[in-house]
Amino acid sequence: MNNVVRSSNHSPLQQRGEEKRERDALLPAVDIIEESSALKLVADMPGVTHETLKVELDNNVLSLEGEIALDMPEGLSALHAEIRGKRFARRFNLSHEVNSDAITATIVNGVLTLTLPKKDNHRTRRIEVQVA
Amino acid sequence: MFDDLKRFETGSPRQFDWFSQLLDSFFPDGNAMDIRAVPRGSFPMINVARSDDAVRVYVFAAGLTPSDLIIDVQDNVLTLRGKRESLTGSNEDGSARPVFRRERTSGEFVRAIALPDGLDAERAEARHAHGVFEIVLPKREELKPRRIDVQAA
Repeated sequence: MNNVVRSSNHSPLQQRGEEKRERDALLPAVDIIEESSALKLVADMPGVTHETLKVELDNNVLSLEGEIALDMPEGLSALHAEIRGKRFARRFNLSHEVNSDAITATIVNGVLTLTLPKKDNHRTRRIEVQVA
Repeated sequence: MFDDLKRFETGSPRQFDWFSQLLDSFFPDGNAMDIRAVPRGSFPMINVARSDDAVRVYVFAAGLTPSDLIIDVQDNVLTLRGKRESLTGSNEDGSARPVFRRERTSGEFVRAIALPDGLDAERAEARHAHGVFEIVLPKREELKPRRIDVQAA
């Protein structure tokens, strides 16, 4: 029993910390559309810059994470806050049809655009209906 | 006569802010609310903060360029209007593409938010970086905090 606990990569405390971070993060709004050769994911992450954005793919799980980098002066007190947090995070399961080596990401004005190309044998092919 | 002293309470009311915000998030619509309150998640999201010399409004409008957002101030009401293009949902040949999720707001929007009194809209400035607009509205001179020196008798 003890061995099982020890073999875990994280101490229970660390894990709890990570779960809390996960809960505290803001969920970015996303659009996902399908093009003939790729899936396209667009996420709103205002305030996230090229430097604070992290896009990771691990075991077909795509995770998007970004820190809001706001240049705010000292000594501010909040009057009204709709964004209550500093991080955006969201995860997606990818299907095996996505060519994970060819994923591209850009972030412009706080909008992240991910292009997830499909593997060649999964591209759309039109099937002609034969006249009987 | 000591009732007057209540006005000089020094405790920061900010300490209770997190609590009232927590309550707000649990019981969103129960009590009387601000006439201009909007449901959570309206686009664009707005944060307002105050410092000694100014009120700063942060508008989280991803995907908007400075020319896409029109900012007006009138009678302490800040109005933001603009338009965000939606992703074109069609292929090169014009046929519709499958859409799995459409959570991002698109199209025209208008939001108005009430600001505290005593701001000098004439000297307001706005900046934009990474999809966040920062609007700085300085307080009028007569409303800034002032230190009063004690004169020697």
